[in-house]
Amino acid sequence: MLKSKIGTLEAIMLVLTIIVAQTMLSLPNHILKTYKSASILNVIYVSILAILITYVIFLLLKKFPGLDIIDISEWIGGKVFKNIVGILFISYFILSGSLLLRNFCESLKIIYYPMTNIIFIIGFFVISICLANRFDFNATLRTNLIILPVVLGSILFLFFTNINNFAPQRMFPILGEGIGHTFGLGLSNLASFGGISYLYFLPPLLEKPETFKKIALTSIGITALYLLLSISTLLFMFSFFISSSEISPLYTATRYIEFGSFFQRLEAIFLLIWILAFACYLSIITRFSMNIFKKLTHIDTQKPLLDIFGLLIFGLSLLPKNFALSQKFESEIYPYLVFAIVFALGIGILVIANLQKRKSKNASQTQSLERKEA
Amino acid sequence: MNHTLKTIWILVLILIFILAFSSSYSNLSMDNLAYVLAIAVDTSDTNKLEVSFQFSTPLPAESSGSEKASDLINTVTASSLSNAINLVNGYLGKQINLSHCKVMIFSEELASQGISDEIYTLINDTQVRPSSNIIISKCTAKYYLEETKPELENLISKYYETFTDSSNYTGYMPDATIGNFFNNLVCKTCEPYAILGGVSLSPSESSDEIDSQKDYNIKANESSIQGKNSAENIGVAVFKEDKLVGELNALETIAFLTTRNKLDRFLVSVPDPLNQSNYLDIYLTPVHSSNIEVDTSSPNPYIKVKFSFAGRIYSMSENSDYLSPEVLDRVSNSCNRYLESTFSDYFYKSSKDFKADINGFGRYALQNFFTSKEYEDYHWSEIYKDAFFDVEVDTSVKSGMLINEI
Repeated sequence: MLKSKIGTLEAIMLVLTIIVAQTMLSLPNHILKTYKSASILNVIYVSILAILITYVIFLLLKKFPGLDIIDISEWIGGKVFKNIVGILFISYFILSGSLLLRNFCESLKIIYYPMTNIIFIIGFFVISICLANRFDFNATLRTNLIILPVVLGSILFLFFTNINNFAPQRMFPILGEGIGHTFGLGLSNLASFGGISYLYFLPPLLEKPETFKKIALTSIGITALYLLLSISTLLFMFSFFISSSEISPLYTATRYIEFGSFFQRLEAIFLLIWILAFACYLSIITRFSMNIFKKLTHIDTQKPLLDIFGLLIFGLSLLPKNFALSQKFESEIYPYLVFAIVFALGIGILVIANLQKRKSKNASQTQSLERKEA
Repeated sequence: MNHTLKTIWILVLILIFILAFSSSYSNLSMDNLAYVLAIAVDTSDTNKLEVSFQFSTPLPAESSGSEKASDLINTVTASSLSNAINLVNGYLGKQINLSHCKVMIFSEELASQGISDEIYTLINDTQVRPSSNIIISKCTAKYYLEETKPELENLISKYYETFTDSSNYTGYMPDATIGNFFNNLVCKTCEPYAILGGVSLSPSESSDEIDSQKDYNIKANESSIQGKNSAENIGVAVFKEDKLVGELNALETIAFLTTRNKLDRFLVSVPDPLNQSNYLDIYLTPVHSSNIEVDTSSPNPYIKVKFSFAGRIYSMSENSDYLSPEVLDRVSNSCNRYLESTFSDYFYKSSKDFKADINGFGRYALQNFFTSKEYEDYHWSEIYKDAFFDVEVDTSVKSGMLINEI
């Protein structure tokens, strides 16, 4: 599938791309709007749950070394089940990528390209990912390895440079809208950890498969820290994200960074970094979708698929009539998609596979015992 | 053949993208934009608003370095700020760009009626910087704009960039920005505030009484400063939601900024413990951030505020002896009493007179509640008028500066 395998650090950064792409858009806004002052508490709560879920996934995948979720679904349900699971995962990657792309491009249009048709802004990204994916996947991963630490650094920079504008008292009342809201309804915020979906496909791609546990837990841990830092910055700085904001709230926070009258308007640098990170994210989801498709269809070469997947992303991102619709998808439909495919379907398949394996192991043990007794 | 097709395909794509993005670039090209330095918004008899835009005109190429760049002001009446911008766009033949707009001035009259529409419009504009200052002018905003003539700067934009810097060491005005104004406007724990501006009137007739406290009771419009630049900024414009409800003078502004931990150092005149008819000027520096505790166990909030300052005696006179520990203790005590009374008066003024929590005490009350609903049911913004204050000031006056004893 790949000319060379994925290194540990590359794999960690790969999982992080999803959260980075989401925080650039309306995820922080959605969290702050829903959980208000309890946002930090909620992020800590879902982070602990996400780490536990990741550990469970690691334990479940441990029994199937070198296999990804597509191979495992073929093992439990044959080719038909494998195809269904594969198509669902491709749909999840492409649909979420397309609509996140639409939202990101709408923000870019508002900020920098007011007179340019959205088609061209989206087209720019689609062409760039089609070109990037013509190279080996490792080229994308290595670019990601450079960009992602810069993005993580930029969030730290954003946090510390805005510290003068912070009012930490905004994290109170600690329970926000109440216990039920923060911890019960708050479970839906697990969707922020959509990066877990990559973990299902990583085992056969890893250079050192024994580092899978480290990769899984570290990447989800960093995701949690990244989310916590983003949410804290916004919660301590603003009281107005409880109302709506079309452009990424993090972008608004960058506009407050000033060092005297010389260093101002640093948001342009942030936006450049985010554009690169977003292109990496799109490139990765396209490559994963193509890999799944290749597994389903057993085609030899992926090159013709590049443009088809690019066009698919392009078309889907143009589907929503307006920004409001694509934002609605991001805040209302996307979380359910993550729950249904990443958590319910993914973990469900792994649990069934493990039970089946245990059953077949027990059956073979009973057979050997019976043979011995005979 | 394949190679040629590929090249043509790439060239066509590049051409399409150049054409697609050129409209945005030409839209943002400097030649097509008119950069606004300041906006002044007044009420109008003929329409809802009278909006004045101040632009900077470039210096001619052959001008000398000492020559000042001129600025021009265009005024329009319109039903909204966005309509005013649109009308001036048509008049100038260039598109107004607010990305370098550093000051937004609203007249007192308009601010008393409410300025939320204008604030929401401005904050909704991606060009407007959240760091742009917001001024409430005691005269008409246009007159304030016309009378702003910086004496030490060649460029008016440079003056706008730095005019609030003195707030860190005088405490006579806040560095109020539109970003913070909006944040406080939508906040449930505090109220917005702005810089109080005005144009100095001709000096009043001299009074026989010399009182150093008079220097601290001034507001914009009331100072005795005479110069080419008639516009002055002293004090705070206090808002309740989006409506102007009051003003703070210089001393109250010092109290306000100290409470919000926005002041590096400041000068106050406190009664001289050695000579009751005299006042001592003391430079005070906050040692710690103000310590604020809010008790919400009863329907009347009880707010305890502690300040800690280090001070040095600035004013000197003959026979002064500021090396004696007893004298310094007495000066410190005098300072404590004076500041406690000043801060307390200011807090009660904000609570009883303005009913507006511009100090953001509501934020400190948040930790007393477990859920947002409990906090909302307490109705902080309505109950703030019933608050009680307990002010504690701990000043440690060290000595004089260069001279300690004469």
